[in-house]
Amino acid sequence: MYAESASLPAARPAIPAKLPVAAIVLWFGALIASSAPWLGELDAGALVSAFWTFDPENYSSVLAHYSWAPRVSIAILIGCGLGLAGAVTQQILGNPLASPTTLGVEAGGQFGITVATLFAPGLLAFSPDLAAIGGGLLAIGMVIALTWRLGFSPVTVILAGLVITFFLGAMNMAFLLLKGEWLGNLFIWGAGSLVQNNWEPFMELWPRVLVLALLMLLLMRPLQLLQLGQTSASALGARVGLIRALALLLVVLMTATVVSRVGVVAFVGLAAPVLAKLLGARTLGNKLLWSTLMGGGLLLLADTLAHWASTWGDGSLVPTGTTTALIGGPVILLALQSFRNTHHMPGQESSPAGFLPKRRSPVLITGVISALLLITVIVSMGWAPGLEGWNWMAITQWDDAWAWRGPRLLAAMLAGVALGLAGTLIQRMTGNPMGSPEMLGISGGAALVMVLIVLSGAEISRIGQLGAATLGAAGALGLLILLARKHRFAGNQLLLGGLALYVFMDAGLRLVMASGGTVASQLLNWMYGSTWLISESEAFGLLGFIVLISSLLLLIVRPLTILPLGDTAAASLGLSVSRARLLLLFLAAVLTASATVVIGPLSFVGLIAPHLARVLGQQTVGRQMIVAALAGGLLLAVADYLSRIVVFPNQLPAGLLAALVGGVYFLWGLSRHGR
Amino acid sequence: MSIEVSVRTFLALLFTGLVALTASAETWQHEYGTINLDAPPKRIIALNWAATEALLLLGVTPVGVADRDGYDVWVNEPKLPADVPNIGTRVAPSLEAIAELQPDLIVTSSEMAPASRQLERIAPTYVISVYKEGHRPFEKASEMLTTLAEMLGREARANTILADLEQTLNTQRQRLEEAGMTDRPVALVNFLDDRHVRIYAPNSLYQRTLDALGLANAWPMQGNFWGFSVVGLEAIASYRNSRIVVIDPILPGLADTLANSPFWTYLPPVRRNQIYQIDAVWPFGGVYPVKRLATMLTDALLEGGSDNVR
Repeated sequence: MYAESASLPAARPAIPAKLPVAAIVLWFGALIASSAPWLGELDAGALVSAFWTFDPENYSSVLAHYSWAPRVSIAILIGCGLGLAGAVTQQILGNPLASPTTLGVEAGGQFGITVATLFAPGLLAFSPDLAAIGGGLLAIGMVIALTWRLGFSPVTVILAGLVITFFLGAMNMAFLLLKGEWLGNLFIWGAGSLVQNNWEPFMELWPRVLVLALLMLLLMRPLQLLQLGQTSASALGARVGLIRALALLLVVLMTATVVSRVGVVAFVGLAAPVLAKLLGARTLGNKLLWSTLMGGGLLLLADTLAHWASTWGDGSLVPTGTTTALIGGPVILLALQSFRNTHHMPGQESSPAGFLPKRRSPVLITGVISALLLITVIVSMGWAPGLEGWNWMAITQWDDAWAWRGPRLLAAMLAGVALGLAGTLIQRMTGNPMGSPEMLGISGGAALVMVLIVLSGAEISRIGQLGAATLGAAGALGLLILLARKHRFAGNQLLLGGLALYVFMDAGLRLVMASGGTVASQLLNWMYGSTWLISESEAFGLLGFIVLISSLLLLIVRPLTILPLGDTAAASLGLSVSRARLLLLFLAAVLTASATVVIGPLSFVGLIAPHLARVLGQQTVGRQMIVAALAGGLLLAVADYLSRIVVFPNQLPAGLLAALVGGVYFLWGLSRHGR
Repeated sequence: MSIEVSVRTFLALLFTGLVALTASAETWQHEYGTINLDAPPKRIIALNWAATEALLLLGVTPVGVADRDGYDVWVNEPKLPADVPNIGTRVAPSLEAIAELQPDLIVTSSEMAPASRQLERIAPTYVISVYKEGHRPFEKASEMLTTLAEMLGREARANTILADLEQTLNTQRQRLEEAGMTDRPVALVNFLDDRHVRIYAPNSLYQRTLDALGLANAWPMQGNFWGFSVVGLEAIASYRNSRIVVIDPILPGLADTLANSPFWTYLPPVRRNQIYQIDAVWPFGGVYPVKRLATMLTDALLEGGSDNVR
């Protein structure tokens, strides 16, 4: 655990003036912006009194009292609650990027509600809180289980939270895709909307938020001890773990209570404490106070922007979740700047050398995986359900089936190979077992462009899709290179920069989801990998491309072996460090882009395959790459087969199945081997 | 091996296509090219519900339909026989299931554009989108109906359907005019939950019904691609002079929630008892929903509104 104050001078005597000024500007700006559209209809006095009374004869006044005022109140209330929760989370984990969003708690709450809507509507009617709390606890439990042995280092915790967010998001999507038309309200709810037409939700919410906030404040003193660092806190008693657990529980309760009422309002809990800290809040008390205030102001501002955007456009609702996510991206980037100087990046010391399972013969492992791959191909080509029931097709009859089963299987396998290779490259480069193309945000860049195209309503062909996705991946790559230059290609900055990219993609996705129906399902299908659209020529094109890149990779095994030794050592061995990094980055990006257009941005294959290779005892770069490529191919081949047969004639996106299977493996594998 | 064979199959297909072209084939233009048919198709697969509806109206039962079970819930009329097989979801149908049914015509829309090549390999594919940028949905829906009728040799039937539709629209308009109920604008909404509605915009299929009945749409803005906007309930509050028509389905308990909200009870249309509720209609369908909505809407308006949903 990294206590921040340890590296800082002792608490300053006074609060820097920036803080109150910024808070006042934020609050007044947001309040004025929010009330501006009303001033034409009501005078200022009437608008202020809208918070407690209304004039039944004047409908504007009714509207202000029952729609505007509760919306403003609930935005402030939720913002404050999430801001406080974020500050508490950062304190207990000693992690400047921790928040209910980045730890997966919000995704968990959403998952809980979706499951309850589908399978236990009774529970939902009784108390939506319970479902959301269950989901939130599940998410944070998984994050803790994942990072337990990795020592809760900040980057690892955030990446684990991201994995959990994706994993639960994937489960969520599986339900939405199969029940799309039936769950229209979940689409909008998931996007986070603060629209109110009654005081009831606010009245229900404020006592809960208040009680939870007070409980959090009661933990302030023990938390302050934590600030002194783990060792000194432990010396004061053995209850450190208990206090942490209790505080985390409160955070989950707070987040779930909010999520169950207005949906996922992401990143407020992250942005508020980050801003407070950037503006100079140093002591725990200051941090909690100013995070709370900043949270309230930020959410009110974000909500007002969302409301304005709704009225400026064609009147369609712009969910508040969109604007908070748009604010969240830059905040993560901001946080990155301050992140580097105050913390030693833990990923850099947990180099691959720290994790050495038993070595195994590469021939044996390669042989076994190849055999499994062959079996998968035979089963996938030959045995499938039809409208009349399952039937077996002999090899001689494969011609008939090739057109429907072949290209997609081939493309899925190739995407798996590409992700396996890219994942190995990135994990080697960053020295972080959580590194992967998905995490790097290159897939996210490709997806972002697709989201924008869907938003614009343009129809594009398959080739156009490929081109657009590649363009997006290249854009993300360019951004990453810029960012990487600045940080001299240090691995963890890249990973977190990728996270920021995902956040933007998320914002677009929320907008699409809220706008409704078929468009959303279509986009989601692509996002999670629609292998069924692959044509023969595309599959063979991909084959040629992957072969080409793989032979290129043969040339760079040496730099990959040398780089983890450290920059100085690498340079002294005659390697141009930054050029080698750039080349590796480029190859990883191209591989990722070609896989993303096939399988979507969210499969975990690039994360799992290299890990699997290492668990199987392949330590050298070359061996790890080969086994990771084969394992990736196998994983996606199986996913593609399953996606075709499990709900025949309906299909699940193959990437979604890979994410589900991979997520489970990942949870199990990391908690077992992740050291 | 299989590659060669498939290339050969492809060439063979191409060749038969050419032969068919030289034989007295009829040709239609569609959104992604032309379609040649040398005989009226018998085994047709519909990849969306609008096409399904058009085929059923023409008296042809498709041999396969996407999201078959959903059709009964969301479209309902015209009735789809229970034994028609499902061939997958509307966004990702199973190519294999389609091929297994050996269709001689596939009807789909431009959302399936990325798959059009693959579909072409199975059978001639007619691509028509009721919703398309720069077109009015109803015109595209009629085009789909008449073109399908030409392909099937059932032009007379299509004409009867369209004439009957016009007739119905005129009758309903007269009923409304006689009752003097055409002056106040109408807002057509679906409740998504107790805070959000889908409101149908002037670029929706429903606009055709409103126009024909002489009713003004209360919502002035263009909707999304599909002709609707998702809005917060407060957005419709600004249109105080309108009548609100709520289209089923609604969530259970909605009536109670709304009744407890002064925001709703003070809403001018609510105070005027001008909340009307009608059965589900499929807003992205072909021509039939226009007729169905016209009849239900007129009945509801004539019957009189209330101050809440049921």
